[in-house]
Amino acid sequence: MAKNSKGIEVAEILQDKCIACQICIGECPVGAIDLSPEGLALVDPELCIGCGKCQESCPVEAVKFERAGKKELSREDRGMPSEGVPGYEGVAVFIEVQDGEGVQVSWELMGKARELAEKLSTRVLGFLLGEGVDHIAREAFAHGCDEVHVSEHEVLASYRSAPYGHALTRLCERVKPEILLMGATHQGRDLAGVVATHLKTGLTADCTDLSIEDRTRLLLMTRPTFGGNIMATIYCEHRRPQMSTVRPMVMKLPERTPGREGRKVFHEWTPPPVELPHIVEFMGDALEGGMDIVQSAALVVAGMGACDPEAFHLLQELADVVGGTLACSRPVVEAGLLPYERQVGQTGKTVAPKLYIAVGVSGAIQHLVAIQGAEKIVAINPDPNAPIFKVADVGIVGDYARVIPEFINQLKNRMGA
Amino acid sequence: MHSVCCIKQVPDTAEVRIDPDTNTLVRAGVESISNPYDIVALEEAVSLKDRYGGRVTALCMGPPQAEHSLREALSLGADRVILLSDRAFAGADTLATSYTLSKAMEKLAKEHPIDLVFCGKQAIDGDTAQTGPGIATRLDCTQFTYVLKVDWVDLQKRQIQVTRKREGGREVIRGPLPALLTAELELAVPRRASLPLLISSLQAQVEAWDAKTLEASLNELGIKGSPTWVRAITSPPAREGGPAFDVSREGEAQAVSMALDTLMDEKGFLSKLLKRWEA
Repeated sequence: MAKNSKGIEVAEILQDKCIACQICIGECPVGAIDLSPEGLALVDPELCIGCGKCQESCPVEAVKFERAGKKELSREDRGMPSEGVPGYEGVAVFIEVQDGEGVQVSWELMGKARELAEKLSTRVLGFLLGEGVDHIAREAFAHGCDEVHVSEHEVLASYRSAPYGHALTRLCERVKPEILLMGATHQGRDLAGVVATHLKTGLTADCTDLSIEDRTRLLLMTRPTFGGNIMATIYCEHRRPQMSTVRPMVMKLPERTPGREGRKVFHEWTPPPVELPHIVEFMGDALEGGMDIVQSAALVVAGMGACDPEAFHLLQELADVVGGTLACSRPVVEAGLLPYERQVGQTGKTVAPKLYIAVGVSGAIQHLVAIQGAEKIVAINPDPNAPIFKVADVGIVGDYARVIPEFINQLKNRMGA
Repeated sequence: MHSVCCIKQVPDTAEVRIDPDTNTLVRAGVESISNPYDIVALEEAVSLKDRYGGRVTALCMGPPQAEHSLREALSLGADRVILLSDRAFAGADTLATSYTLSKAMEKLAKEHPIDLVFCGKQAIDGDTAQTGPGIATRLDCTQFTYVLKVDWVDLQKRQIQVTRKREGGREVIRGPLPALLTAELELAVPRRASLPLLISSLQAQVEAWDAKTLEASLNELGIKGSPTWVRAITSPPAREGGPAFDVSREGEAQAVSMALDTLMDEKGFLSKLLKRWEA
């Protein structure tokens, strides 16, 4: 164990484990830790007083520190049961409304909220904002919600950050849910940051897994970070609600129970007396082929290896045969061959189709994190070492220009066409 | 017109890899870069200055080496750059980050009132898209996220109109200044630094502000001001892959046939396919 000139046993950072989160730098009471030029934490042994705080706070066990006589606390021990924050109860979902209906991701979250609520022995709440939207409560009940809290006002007729942020904050203050889930849509992400800041609470974006920690009853929120290279599990111990956004298609849509009943509570809301922005015009995306890739049950996905406009006829033909839609990975969008709306990946959309055919997609981690929910993955790629083959249910190593016509032919035969 | 642009220095996540043997993050040789969305936002701030006059201030919160990002901002046309650096800022989540940045802006605004705040839509390391809305809320700015285009700014009437992305399309929206915009990549094409600016940016003295300069409350900074904590870091869940058939060994017909056999192995796959996936 390393000692400094004063004979104190000092902490050491394991360089291959450090993720440069800087938590230890903030925790160190004597300022002995700095970020090295390589972007990793470094302990100045002469300044270190050997208190061990850096080791306790490190989320990745990258601090080597042993002190004689000190009983080392296990990670479990450190996650001691929390008293929670009294007065907050219920798992709430913000119900996003589009064209007078609740959007699907809200119902996916309702299913997750049900599961979390059962674990906590509490109820599922729905928060609904808009004008003339209270009929949506019925759908919320059918998807497992117990109570819908509604604020209606003409100012809420179309989404704008400030009034929605204000109204949802008020609902949280009145109803006091312990958890608030929102879809990681453009609207959900725009709104979540506003509400979390008003409430001074923790918010975790784009979670791929949510669970309740048995001992502490805390919400554990897992999300990809560093471009999908690692998964971080985040928690929020002292503030409420524990807020999280989740992308569409990440959670499973719960089964709908028509006629299931619940309680509807209306809350008066008065807009703050400030000048609000005014929506001048809305231009809908012209979805060529008329299909949203998130909703499509089958996708044929062009990657860098099929980044060629000539290839698209062939891929479209395959998409037609399997009843699917043409999508792509990032390089194809960057080459200007397909619009962003067609992009699958960390910076594009998360998808969970029944059938996913990757053509010339190498399978970078940023792409793979967004196809976790796909039922069957077929990969066609000339490089046998492409990472996509590690996750594909079935792969064909070869040139797509020759493989796909054969694939279409044989598939048509088997389909009896 | 005074625009302030927030820049984050991030590891180039495209270069970050997991060592398959040790299951740890390989950061050796991974460069720190300025978040690409922030550089697009800066470009728009500078080109609006070219159009309407005024000044652009760039802010960056981070360790001392983050001043590289600020030198880059100078070379790209920022008039003034300020590094927000203090041990007390370390370990900040988005709530503490938006607090620190907004405190710096409150201080800046005392010298020159701020009309526009620019941020990237998200940073490529965390991808949260939360800091922009956090700053807008704290400073009480009109919030426009996912901006594709600034249509115009009217300094007389104190209005701005932008085109922004939202579910299912784009909207044109107009609102009062001051406003905070978060940039999509389409918002602007960053310029190349001119040689004189590049040279002067390298020689410039980068101003640094700490917690004391910001007159910030220590309880709201860095790790103390962060309600979210990391409990664990893990590798992404692995998906079990199946067989791959090599055309060079089997020939196209045979490889495709074996691949389809594997697919059809699952009961009901063919019928689902035939029913066009309808349940």
